[in-house]
Amino acid sequence: MSILANKDTRVVIQGGAAGVNAARRMAEFCYLIKRPLNVEAFVYPPDAGKSNEVPYGSGLIAIPVYKTIAEATKNHPTINTSLVYIGADRAMKGGMEALDDTHIKVVTMITEGVPEKDAKILGAHARKLGKVFNGPSSIGIVSAGSCRLGVIGGAFDNLVLSKLYREGSFGVITKSGGLSNEIIWICSQFADGITTAIGIGGDAYPGTDYVSYLEMFENDPQTKAVVIVGEMGGDLEERAAEWYGAKKRRVKLMAVVSGFCQESLPKGMKFGHAGAKEGLKGEGSARSKSDALKKSGAIVPPTFGALGPAIKDVYQELLKSGQVKEPVEPASLPKLPKSIEAAMKADEVMVTPLIRTTISDDRGDEPCYDGYPASELINKGYEIPHVVGLLWDKRLISKQEAEIIKRIMMLSADHGPCVSGALGTIIAACAGIGLSQSVAAGLIMIGPRFGGAVTDAGRFFKHAVDNKMTVDEFLTYMKKNHGPVPGIGHRVKSLRNPDKRVKELVGYVKSLPIKTPCLDFALQVEQVTAAKKDNLILNVDGTMAAVLVDIGFPVDSLNGFFILSRTIGLIGHWVDQKRQGSRLIRLFDYLVNYAAPKRREVPPLK
Amino acid sequence: MAKVLEGPGMGLMKKWGIHVPHHAVVTSADELSKLGHANDWMKQSQLVAKAHEALGSRFKLGLVKVGLDLTGAVAATKDMIGRQVGSIMVSQVIVSEMIAHKEEYYCAVKSTREGSEILVANCGGIEVESNWDRVKRLCLDVGQAPSHEALEKLAKEAGFTGALVKKIADFAGKMFSCFDNEDAQYLEVNPVVTRQSDGELVALDAVTLLDGDAKFRHPDWNFAFAAEFGRAYSKQEEEVMAVDSKIKGSVKFIEIPGGDTAMLPAGGGASVYYSDAVVARGGKLANYAEYSGDPPDWAVEVLTEKVCSLPGIKNIIVGGAIANFTDVVKTFGGIINGFRKAKAEGKLKGVKIWVRRGGPREKEGLDAMRALKDEGFDINVFDRNTPLTDIVDKALQK
Repeated sequence: MSILANKDTRVVIQGGAAGVNAARRMAEFCYLIKRPLNVEAFVYPPDAGKSNEVPYGSGLIAIPVYKTIAEATKNHPTINTSLVYIGADRAMKGGMEALDDTHIKVVTMITEGVPEKDAKILGAHARKLGKVFNGPSSIGIVSAGSCRLGVIGGAFDNLVLSKLYREGSFGVITKSGGLSNEIIWICSQFADGITTAIGIGGDAYPGTDYVSYLEMFENDPQTKAVVIVGEMGGDLEERAAEWYGAKKRRVKLMAVVSGFCQESLPKGMKFGHAGAKEGLKGEGSARSKSDALKKSGAIVPPTFGALGPAIKDVYQELLKSGQVKEPVEPASLPKLPKSIEAAMKADEVMVTPLIRTTISDDRGDEPCYDGYPASELINKGYEIPHVVGLLWDKRLISKQEAEIIKRIMMLSADHGPCVSGALGTIIAACAGIGLSQSVAAGLIMIGPRFGGAVTDAGRFFKHAVDNKMTVDEFLTYMKKNHGPVPGIGHRVKSLRNPDKRVKELVGYVKSLPIKTPCLDFALQVEQVTAAKKDNLILNVDGTMAAVLVDIGFPVDSLNGFFILSRTIGLIGHWVDQKRQGSRLIRLFDYLVNYAAPKRREVPPLK
Repeated sequence: MAKVLEGPGMGLMKKWGIHVPHHAVVTSADELSKLGHANDWMKQSQLVAKAHEALGSRFKLGLVKVGLDLTGAVAATKDMIGRQVGSIMVSQVIVSEMIAHKEEYYCAVKSTREGSEILVANCGGIEVESNWDRVKRLCLDVGQAPSHEALEKLAKEAGFTGALVKKIADFAGKMFSCFDNEDAQYLEVNPVVTRQSDGELVALDAVTLLDGDAKFRHPDWNFAFAAEFGRAYSKQEEEVMAVDSKIKGSVKFIEIPGGDTAMLPAGGGASVYYSDAVVARGGKLANYAEYSGDPPDWAVEVLTEKVCSLPGIKNIIVGGAIANFTDVVKTFGGIINGFRKAKAEGKLKGVKIWVRRGGPREKEGLDAMRALKDEGFDINVFDRNTPLTDIVDKALQK
């Protein structure tokens, strides 16, 4: 048997993330004792209508979230217990809502920092209704082998170590959450473990005191002894002593009280929980509590450390008198399935990766590009073109190469609002579309006719150079196999109206002591084509392509240089339209050649 | 529990209809002179000047001056501001009018498990403290307000007669309103006096303890809470409090000068058992500290740095029970970083570190602590199989 929480306990959890976490811990316990999950519902208005996923074994259980307790109990009429994880400022309202629901008999409030007055009101209201209000600041309640409410009991390994999968003979009541776990562990090591452990919370006026629970334990035949972990402050321990001393009790009472250090500390210095404060006249001191408990006949070990052996003594007596039998441990216990991460760490599974990357890794404290930490690159004077080199071609390019890339980017960053890319972005911006989509609208335009000829130009110039073609051979080859030469020709620029960007780039590259076979070849091609037609000049795409191939960039990366550079301009156009508060635009009719058939009659549908 | 100084305490009482003397809290003599020009009561009444700090025995320390005129009050203020008493520097002075009176009474409201208790006595000042049996009580359940009849009955029981019965009942009723509406935990007026000029009851002094947890519903609490143990918080303590107010979970730190055993335990409950163990072993605590509720590692690191900086420490107790959900690896990570920093700054020379802990990821956490040995730390690490406070016994063994 147990008290308060048992196999019939069905729970609604009031609250958000902390409540979901508690449900996960509760599911681990249910899995250990091979029982279905005892959490039926959540109440959390912001997520009402959704469901929270709780892992159970290797599966996932979806638990519905409701707006109110009434909705939850209407849909899950077996709910009889509420766990409250709502913030301190709304905790009272939530606690009242649960207490007022006829289905709910026990409310445990985990919330910390609840105003004292609110806790008193909740406690009084529960007493009036004949219900239990436990907490605030409770760590929860656990009944070995049957029910866990909250995170009490800790991690799965600890549940097993503390033998919480089966009943023992000791009841536990503590103010402190951490110590509840410690006592559960001690009971499992020095005796046969616990029946039920309850965290009543460390506040000054908890909703339910030791005496209420001592009464319940007294009436639970399985519980043979109760361990109280007390603290200075208030009079709950004195009341427990009074209860124990009042008449012969079936259960043995054992207790420790903290706060003796207070005697040798500056007066008024406050330690520990909110309730741990000595009265103005010394009442509620650890000594007065400890003395009262001793006087009532309770076993009060001198220190916390002596509690284990004392529990052992009590247990041995119980064994000797035949009141308890040595527990039978189950042959096997379920093991909590490991996460893939944990199993891999333990070398238990091998997973075939889904993707493979060879350029970057940000699993450490900063990203590494091709193995080089970003901050070190910055601090050693590397710049954006070097990052491009690392991520696009996996190599640290030279200062000179970086300068070429920088110039290419500066020359291609924008080309005014009329070109396809910028126009696309501007139209989108005027339609109120966001930055990334508008820039994407511009980027979509980059292709064979606009900006996207760099890769192809590079490919063909490289093909020609690699195969030592003459210009004539190359032009014949292109005409026969592919059509116009990418990188050659411009819509408005011509020999007489040269593209200054090309001139600038070619001038710079040619001034460097590097070999430029592709660029040289491209310029020879231009000589021939421009002689045929004035505007068949080497355009900026072709120039970039030839230069980039000459400094070793892979052909497939070449369009990237234009995309990267022009993105700067496209972002600029979007911001520019935004700044001006531009309105929706549309084409004027006079800009359209309406070449569609004249209006005509629609024939009957056949 | 949050202590409120007299000035704001009287402000709260006034809000609920209790007569209080005219008063002003000033931070300089200049400020008082300026106020003196604008406030007739400062020119017309006799004045009291008191250091407005959380200090006991102000009278003995010469930090209360009575029977002053404005010039005298300005001089007294000038004299008090900046005076150092222990760790507290007087930065404020409260100047109030003296109320001519003959009789003194007592009234208080305190929090009880059931609700509250109203206390009344027909004597006040020091007299009530030596005649505690003359204090009569009215117990109230939470949510219950006292009826006027009950209050009059209380006044009569306390020995009030005639017109005073109604006045005291009225006063006590207002005290209760203030207590109830302001989320107070303790309100005391000693003495309550009859103002000779108009016969009204006036609160001459106010002890106000509020429930700090209720601050969220009192936007008009525009005052700072005072330190509760007769001294100001140190810079280190304030820094930890600032961290505490920002995080999920908590970190706490209080210095105890003169000790040599430093505390860095986990848990509001276990930490006190660790302190008890140190005292029981005849050790001297250098501080109180505690972290709990799965705080972030950086917060624990800050706490660790403060603990390592305590002067003259010989042992550090990194204790803790078996945690429910505080991640041992993460919180120990903060402690380890703090230790490393302290060591790099030349601290922790000759200091022994004692560790005992359990909880989520305890093995990894304890292993990480053990590894500190290789870095030259004098560290002893124990797991859940060593009882909670045994590390204190080991540390303080002679």
